[in-house]
Amino acid sequence: MINAFLVFNGQGKPRLTKFYTQLDTSIQQRLISEIFTLVSHRPPGSCNFLPLPPLLAASGTSHSSSEPHNDVPSLVTYRHYATLYFIVISTSTESPLALIDLIQVYVEALDKLIENVCELDLIYNFETLHATLGEMIVGGVVIETDGDKIVAGVRAQGKIAKRPVNEGRGVGLGGGLGMGGNFVWHGR
Amino acid sequence: MFEKSLHDLIRGLRNHKANEKEYIQNCLKECRSEIRSQDMDVKAAALLKLIYLEMLGHDMSWASFHVLEVMSSPKYHQKRVGYLGAVQTFRPDTEVLMLATNLLKKDLAASLPTTIALPIAALPHFITPSLALSVLADLLPRLTHSHSTIRKKTIVTLYRLALVYPETLPAAWPKIKERLMDKDEDPGVTAAIVNVVCELGWQRPNDFLGLAPRFFELLVERGNNWMAIKLIKLFATLTPLEPRLIRKLLPPLTDLIRTTPAMSLLYECINGIIQGGILGEEDDNSGSEEIASLCVTKLRGMTINGDANLKYVALLAFNRIVVTHPYLVAQQEDVILECIDSDDITIRIKALDLVQGMVSSDNLVSIVSRLMRQLKTSSLAGHPRNGQQTVDTNTDSSDDAGADLSRSSRPQKDDVPPLPEDYTIDVIGRILIMCAQNNYSSLVDFDWYIDVLTQLIRIGPISRRAEFDSALEQKSHTIDVSEKIGNELRNVAVKVKAVRLAAVRAAELIISRLYTESTSSHSVLSGALRPVAWIAGEYAFQLSSPDDTLGHLLHLVPRITSPEILATCLQTILKIFSLIAGNDQVLWTSERKSTMALLMARVIHLLEPLVLHPYLEVQERAVEFTELLKLTVEAAFGQAPSTDEVQQDPPLLLTQAIPSLFNGWELNSVAHGAQQNVPMPPDLDLDEPIHADLDRLLAQADSLILPVPGDDEFEVYYNQKLAPTSLSNEPAINRLPDAPEEVVHESYQQQAGEESYLDADILARRKAERLERNRDDPFYIGPQSGGTSTLIHNTLQTENGTDLDIDSIPIMKLNLDNLSNEIQPSAAAPRPRPQPRQRIVVAADETLAGGSGRSTPRNYESENNSDSFTKSKAKKLKQQSLLQVDSSRLRDLSLEAAAAEPGLQPQEEDAEMAQAMKEVQRLRMEMQRANERIQTAQGVPAEGVVVKKKTTKKKKAVAAEDGEGAAVKIKKKKKKTSVASPVVDTPSGSGEVVEASEAGAAAASELLGEAAAAGVTEESSAKQPNKVKKKTTTKKAPKRIIQLDDDDFGAAASSSLPDT
Repeated sequence: MINAFLVFNGQGKPRLTKFYTQLDTSIQQRLISEIFTLVSHRPPGSCNFLPLPPLLAASGTSHSSSEPHNDVPSLVTYRHYATLYFIVISTSTESPLALIDLIQVYVEALDKLIENVCELDLIYNFETLHATLGEMIVGGVVIETDGDKIVAGVRAQGKIAKRPVNEGRGVGLGGGLGMGGNFVWHGR
Repeated sequence: MFEKSLHDLIRGLRNHKANEKEYIQNCLKECRSEIRSQDMDVKAAALLKLIYLEMLGHDMSWASFHVLEVMSSPKYHQKRVGYLGAVQTFRPDTEVLMLATNLLKKDLAASLPTTIALPIAALPHFITPSLALSVLADLLPRLTHSHSTIRKKTIVTLYRLALVYPETLPAAWPKIKERLMDKDEDPGVTAAIVNVVCELGWQRPNDFLGLAPRFFELLVERGNNWMAIKLIKLFATLTPLEPRLIRKLLPPLTDLIRTTPAMSLLYECINGIIQGGILGEEDDNSGSEEIASLCVTKLRGMTINGDANLKYVALLAFNRIVVTHPYLVAQQEDVILECIDSDDITIRIKALDLVQGMVSSDNLVSIVSRLMRQLKTSSLAGHPRNGQQTVDTNTDSSDDAGADLSRSSRPQKDDVPPLPEDYTIDVIGRILIMCAQNNYSSLVDFDWYIDVLTQLIRIGPISRRAEFDSALEQKSHTIDVSEKIGNELRNVAVKVKAVRLAAVRAAELIISRLYTESTSSHSVLSGALRPVAWIAGEYAFQLSSPDDTLGHLLHLVPRITSPEILATCLQTILKIFSLIAGNDQVLWTSERKSTMALLMARVIHLLEPLVLHPYLEVQERAVEFTELLKLTVEAAFGQAPSTDEVQQDPPLLLTQAIPSLFNGWELNSVAHGAQQNVPMPPDLDLDEPIHADLDRLLAQADSLILPVPGDDEFEVYYNQKLAPTSLSNEPAINRLPDAPEEVVHESYQQQAGEESYLDADILARRKAERLERNRDDPFYIGPQSGGTSTLIHNTLQTENGTDLDIDSIPIMKLNLDNLSNEIQPSAAAPRPRPQPRQRIVVAADETLAGGSGRSTPRNYESENNSDSFTKSKAKKLKQQSLLQVDSSRLRDLSLEAAAAEPGLQPQEEDAEMAQAMKEVQRLRMEMQRANERIQTAQGVPAEGVVVKKKTTKKKKAVAAEDGEGAAVKIKKKKKKTSVASPVVDTPSGSGEVVEASEAGAAAASELLGEAAAAGVTEESSAKQPNKVKKKTTTKKAPKRIIQLDDDDFGAAASSSLPDT
């Protein structure tokens, strides 16, 4: 199952935090900053999986690599879109490549909801971020991977607030969040 | 209105980047007052702001009551904010949860699907067993809701309910199964069910065996890749229980692997085949060989493919294969080794995991060489000064080292970022583990290993120690890597007699290097000093220059901060001293007398300040040794030196007494845990007081410093070793004269690539030693085949005296071209040097018969590891992982037939209920009080008239809540009893379970079209009762950060944790 879904920007500022098991706020922040340190030092062309951050590695998964315990979060998957990092922490029962796709689905859904989405849109559409995620994952289990259905589900909950007009466009996330990026796994 | 909206807050945050903290504090203050507003819009807006700030790390648990208020708003957009607040901040121990139950039930029964979805999606975040019990009845009907979204979410929420309240499953499963079997069901719902079943599947695969036909159908339909992935994962857990599934699954899986364009599905197919045990045995004829080769080829393709993600997952898959089919992975060694040098740390670590399992005597050297090169280059990048020096020496040798070296030296010129320290430590740890595996069975060349260790000590990061100098408690769980490396060196010295000399020399070198490197102002931090000093002391008679080593140690000791290291070093100093002094061959001349007196004075001078050391071990040794030496000084002073006429013996204290302290039996390595197998003497009563009048003694001890009791019989027994007899039982190598120690800056040859990770001086020594070793070997042809006089040649000649003329040995004149070519370093990638396997005896750990002590060489504890016990204890402390969701409780539960659940005994149930009621009461009181406290804590004078108004209002609200709470209470009681009754009816559930599993097996056999299901049924029915018997009521273990505990895991972890 999925243990947490996080979004933060290139400076490590959280934009969305969703933990499917509850943690103290301070530990959440520590975890985010640990993951940010890991993710921000990735050389170009490296894979979308992170080694476990110290907080999670404490329980020791290295020795149990042959026999992973399925309850323990053991996989940190991330994707980088323009100024944002999307992180999924999950157990070994999830498929690593499918999680990369899952992030893609999420970003595509956001892009459909908020046209040509950029980081600023996400900041101001805080609630939409949560609503969209809620249509995809409930309690750590993926319930929907079809982009159209997700969008329909979010729209059914009400109008999507528009970003205040007078705000600058900010840094566009490179043609939206860089949809149809270089790696698409056809997982869907 | 002046309240800020969330947008205003965000805009404000963006405009106050400089003094963000202050701005946030102001906002929080505003929110605090706004959230108590009577206007629901203001309240909701304030809550949304708080949720936003919570994301940034500002705790809002204090606002949970207000969250509840907003949740109860009739307007959807406010309700949504409230639920978001609950999802983000409620914990299962949030107290207002008690009050939320009714609200949740009400919203679950709402008419709008969007409203229903709110509690459904929120429940998994704060579900507790009692909450699950109360909402279950409201949740179940939602499984048949007309909206597929609601159905999907309900299924998942029921699963999360089941995790904390397993009784959910028997009630919910029939309905979920109905959804699953319904072919007209929305595919999204089916997918959600498959997702849930996949999560349940690995816990209770037996229950889903019966559904295999349906899953198979779904897999073959190939509607949705996401679902296919989950189905394959599910089948991987089912196949071990029902081997006949394999044959059925093979065709579609093979088909998928061959045709699917989706890499994720392809990978999961392969993974499923691996995990499901479909790879089969080597001698299997059911076509599994074909599938195995197909998988491995595909995986190899993924590894070679430039895509890092594919590389990563391929390594993951290899990691799984290597457990069962190491030979399949061994074929891919080349590509896997490439991954060790990847830029990507994630891939490196996975590759390392894999390599650790692949190590054999053939590839150990090449693997370790790769890792060493990595470490070396990164440490060079870290210390440019040191690096420059070594690069220079490297360029000398790179001419003849060929292509491989130029490849490895390339990154030195590029800007290689230094490796993260924890990675470096990890790699070093793995090198040690790989080499020490199975009592050094893969290691052929111990001299090489000793050199690698020496190099590692230089590379290894030691700065860690500096951060918490004397903080003992910190250090105990971050074991210094360099100490680990040193321990390895010590293990080799103890276990492998053949290379003990080399190990001692290495230790000597390390000590002298520590001495020369560290300036007098710095404290010595390297943890390696401890084991290394131990080696030098224990095998002092093999030191090349005991006087120098003693001198170095005498200089080092005052700068040692760690008391453990200090204690060991003191012991070493006396051991070496006893060796120097104990030599009775030397005449007791006046010269000798004054040397000894001087030496003793130096040692005493060193020891004296330590007599008052706060660490007991150090103090004890210092006191003992000072007193002993003072005595000896007197004796030596009294003994007149021998003159030409009178032959005087040196004082016996010096030649006999002191050496006898350290000459006892040779120390051998003891298996880990062997100590525990020592039978307790029958007459030992640990409860008996040590001394009848202990209190008085202790009181006395407070007033005066008692000398600590010295060696007892026991210690003497263990510390004394046989007198250093002749070297006859040593290998012949050791009897050869010592190799020259000086650095030879010559172009020399060695095995390919070695110079890329070993320092120049180590290499030079290696070179010299090799020559030395092979000197007497008529089959060895030295590199100086021309017979020209080289430095080495000269050295040899001086070593052996003039009577040995190397050039006159006829074999040396043989100069075969092909042979000399062979000796030239090969340009190819490093490969194991063809070397005759030396007969090296590695001593096994000593253990007691019948003991459970595992013989792991790394666990060897020396006599000096006084704190090793606490260390290992600290290591064993398991740590519950963050974010972990415990699903172990599900294991004990049957899905079918609610009656099969034995459950709690009725009286236990009652007691628990009473306890829960009490708890509810208490919490409600507490909350009420807390609320009142919040009122008064707002900084308004308590007697203020306005406040009074407010408080009365609030009190009313509280009173209303009170009523609600009471209602909940009563309802709860009813529920509990109604659930409890069927449980009581059938206390023995085993029969039911067997029936259920029989049904499952029958269904499976149906799928396979085989009638002979009897065997399987018997088998599974034999297993089932056992399972039920195993059931125990889940105990509550002390909680950690995460609310859920995993007892089973804890037990498993503590038993399987390897002690490193």
